[in-house]
Amino acid sequence: MANLSLKHIYKVYPNGAKAVNDFNMQIADKEFIVFVGPSGCGKSTTLRMIAGLEEITAGELKIGDTVVNGMEPKDRDIAMVFQNYALYPHMTIYENIAFGLRMRKIPDIKRYKKDDKDGHKAGEPVLGKDGKEIPVMRKYNKREIDEKVTEAAEILGITEYLKRKPKEMSGGQRQRVALGRAIVRQPKVMLLDEPLSNLDAKLRTQMRSEIVKLHKKLQTTFIYVTHDQVEAMTMGTRIVVMKDGFVKQIDTPKNLYKYPANKFVAGFIGTPQMNFFEGTLKKDGDKVIIDFAYSDAKITVPYSMLMKTTPQYLDGTKTVYIGFRAEDVTLEPERVAQSPAKIKVRISHSEELGTETLVYGDINMDGDGFAETSTRVIIKSGGFKEYMPDTVCEAALDINAIHLFDKDTEESIMPRIPEYNYLDCKVQNGNITFLGNTLPLPPAIECGDGVGEMLIPVSAVNFDGGIKAKVFGSENINGQILLSLEINGGRIYALSEKVIEEGIVNIGIDFKKLILKTDGKEILPMPLTNGLDGTFVADKGANRGEKIFSLLIDGVKFAAPEEVYSKMFAATTGRKVYNSQFRYEWSPYDIAVADSGLKAEVEKMLDYGKEKFAKCRVGDETLYVKADKDIEGTVFLSPDAGKVSVIESQRQIRIV
Amino acid sequence: MNKSKAKVAKAKTKKILNVLITYCILIIVAFVFFFPCLWLILASFSKSGSIYSFDGFFPKEYGLDAFKALFTDTVMYNYPKWFLNTLFIAVMSCVLGTLLTILTAYCMSRFRFKSRKAMMKTTLLLGMFPSFMGTIAVYLIMTQFNLINQQWGLILIYSAQAPMGYMVQKGFFDTIPYSIDEAARIDGASNFTVFVKFILPLSKPMLVYTALTSFTWPWSDFILPKMLLIDKDLYTVAVGLMSLGETEFARFAAGSIFIAIPIIVLYFCLVKYMINGMAAGAVKE
Repeated sequence: MANLSLKHIYKVYPNGAKAVNDFNMQIADKEFIVFVGPSGCGKSTTLRMIAGLEEITAGELKIGDTVVNGMEPKDRDIAMVFQNYALYPHMTIYENIAFGLRMRKIPDIKRYKKDDKDGHKAGEPVLGKDGKEIPVMRKYNKREIDEKVTEAAEILGITEYLKRKPKEMSGGQRQRVALGRAIVRQPKVMLLDEPLSNLDAKLRTQMRSEIVKLHKKLQTTFIYVTHDQVEAMTMGTRIVVMKDGFVKQIDTPKNLYKYPANKFVAGFIGTPQMNFFEGTLKKDGDKVIIDFAYSDAKITVPYSMLMKTTPQYLDGTKTVYIGFRAEDVTLEPERVAQSPAKIKVRISHSEELGTETLVYGDINMDGDGFAETSTRVIIKSGGFKEYMPDTVCEAALDINAIHLFDKDTEESIMPRIPEYNYLDCKVQNGNITFLGNTLPLPPAIECGDGVGEMLIPVSAVNFDGGIKAKVFGSENINGQILLSLEINGGRIYALSEKVIEEGIVNIGIDFKKLILKTDGKEILPMPLTNGLDGTFVADKGANRGEKIFSLLIDGVKFAAPEEVYSKMFAATTGRKVYNSQFRYEWSPYDIAVADSGLKAEVEKMLDYGKEKFAKCRVGDETLYVKADKDIEGTVFLSPDAGKVSVIESQRQIRIV
Repeated sequence: MNKSKAKVAKAKTKKILNVLITYCILIIVAFVFFFPCLWLILASFSKSGSIYSFDGFFPKEYGLDAFKALFTDTVMYNYPKWFLNTLFIAVMSCVLGTLLTILTAYCMSRFRFKSRKAMMKTTLLLGMFPSFMGTIAVYLIMTQFNLINQQWGLILIYSAQAPMGYMVQKGFFDTIPYSIDEAARIDGASNFTVFVKFILPLSKPMLVYTALTSFTWPWSDFILPKMLLIDKDLYTVAVGLMSLGETEFARFAAGSIFIAIPIIVLYFCLVKYMINGMAAGAVKE
């Protein structure tokens, strides 16, 4: 019964292979989290790191409020179920389940062992000199073990097998024993590593629902690893999709299915696999024409459906992946007749599955419909419908269910929370005009007069400015609220932490995050991280045996607090920490101008109206530092060593 | 019809011929193996003892005189004493050697540490040299430690050399699924608990094998005790029998037969543990 926190978790093997890259996740109490992905994606490694069977290279893992990075598995209060059950073959089922209890100690108070002549009875608490009970740790006694084992066995329905040995049991029963061994200790977290993959299909379905039932009954946090997306979708409250050591998406099963963040998730979740086509998008007034590559197919979609799409994809030149699930394509004549988005499909073959028929076809009239190409289409149709091969039919696409992905990055180009608001703007005499509003540009943005485009990050829209906007919609996306705002007929998105009722709000823009493109010139936002290369050193302290660990940058030492250096030691083996190159990063707010420290030349002051920053040069690096007043010439900068984030340059892993 | 019948008959004769040849070879091999044994047994029951009065493999007169002499005539050749000496050395070396061997094998199988591979290769290489190659060095070391003419000297050498052959045991431990260790560690067991409560019970066949091998070597070794033991009272059976006079062949044979008995008994006691399949049911294969 605990929440978990995984921050920047990395697993790098000695040969340099990165099994897990920058894993970040907060797991709430009583959640059922499923890690899913193809083999070798790092899901089991992550689970084993949580269990303590695998060392964490870098990052911070918390169970409850304790950091457990260096803790032994037995002290983490977790239980694990293995794919191959890992029962103790020479022990009976009873002993298998009881073993964990026998090994454990529980807090209790000191008691008299037998009646003594002073009139104390056996079992009565021994009182200390101050008259208080004396806390001790004791083992479970026979009766307690018996009770717990019987209870666990009853939950799992294996009471009658308790005297048997593992080899006398079937696969399903063995897995039940493994579950029993895990639940009997009432751990804070249950870890299950592909527990069902050794069972046959029927037993798997049955055990699946039993594990879900168990989760409801135990009310504890479950982390479940599987490569089977059906298991993931049916069991998890939230799913982590992983590939090649990277987390691809973390969301609820429903959201993963409806809003896949990238092509991998879209293809991995759902059977049959989503149909992917290649094509281009061209905006034409309030419509968007979708032109499918290698085919004559073309459909028209109202622009309002693709509002969140990044505008650069809408000029008809960039190729994108267009995704439709098999159930969002139909061959039913009535629905096809009504649909605005029709494509021609040449049918190649079909698979009858009873309640439904999967029809394979191709939108390219020369395609064969067998190979997984970007014109092959799989259509879900009603049960026992026959389609003649090689006939050409019309199919209707459900345009509400369209998914679009970039061809190179494979990321969704219509994310649920768009990154930027794209607006046309005009700059004149240091003022910027967009959507009918004119604002003075802060002095830091030096832009000549001209017409162009501005990109306002969604996170840069705040609620303390003078622009009037009408809220006409809000969406809760994983705890963040995305507001749709209307300003003089134009639309922008903003993020808010609390729900805002529909109506008029005042908004402002954080100019330091703005990207401005006018007449071929581009003004970039102020970077929010300052990186400096450096090393790590140790010096003798004032007292004997004391050591002071410091970050050494440009010949200047900054004493590192324990929180920082302990993590750096943990992430590097032996004395390697002293021979490695690190990149230290700070936010502009964590570097102060001081009397001593890094010597820097102030290049210029950036005045963003409410805030001022100094652009400084240290060696070859440019730093941005929050400054309350104008400074110039040579200054000394003192970064806050407690707020540093450290990246090991060679392996590119974030340590702190 | 006739033709096929003839064919069947031909195949049958061929088969019988094959079996005949096989058995002939087996009988010859068995004879070659058993004859020395048989001769020794017969010689031990012979009444005339000298090897010089050899007149055929079968003795003229049979009797238990040689066995009697072994245990009664202890003035010159104290066979019972030698027997107890050998037993003591072999049992102690067996216990210590087995312990060291399985601990070494467990370490090499389960732990990953620096220079593990180098150590494994070195021990393998050293194990390839015959053990008597280092006898001079061993003798010098033993004089330094004042362990010459002492049984403990021998026990130490035997137990220290036993782990050199840890490879077989390591191979066995490797077959015990690592997930059992992991499950036990999560259940709260330390490395030692894992070893004692899981690895040892699961490797009974290997333990028996290890114990047998580390018992038989000191039991029948000749070179080391011959070199290190000076006192006749400290002799092991092998050295003692060698010191018998040339006319005592019957007694020599009887002594040799008698020391084979403990090993045979030990083998029959332990053989039931050497059956495989102890780990069955642990994990899904």
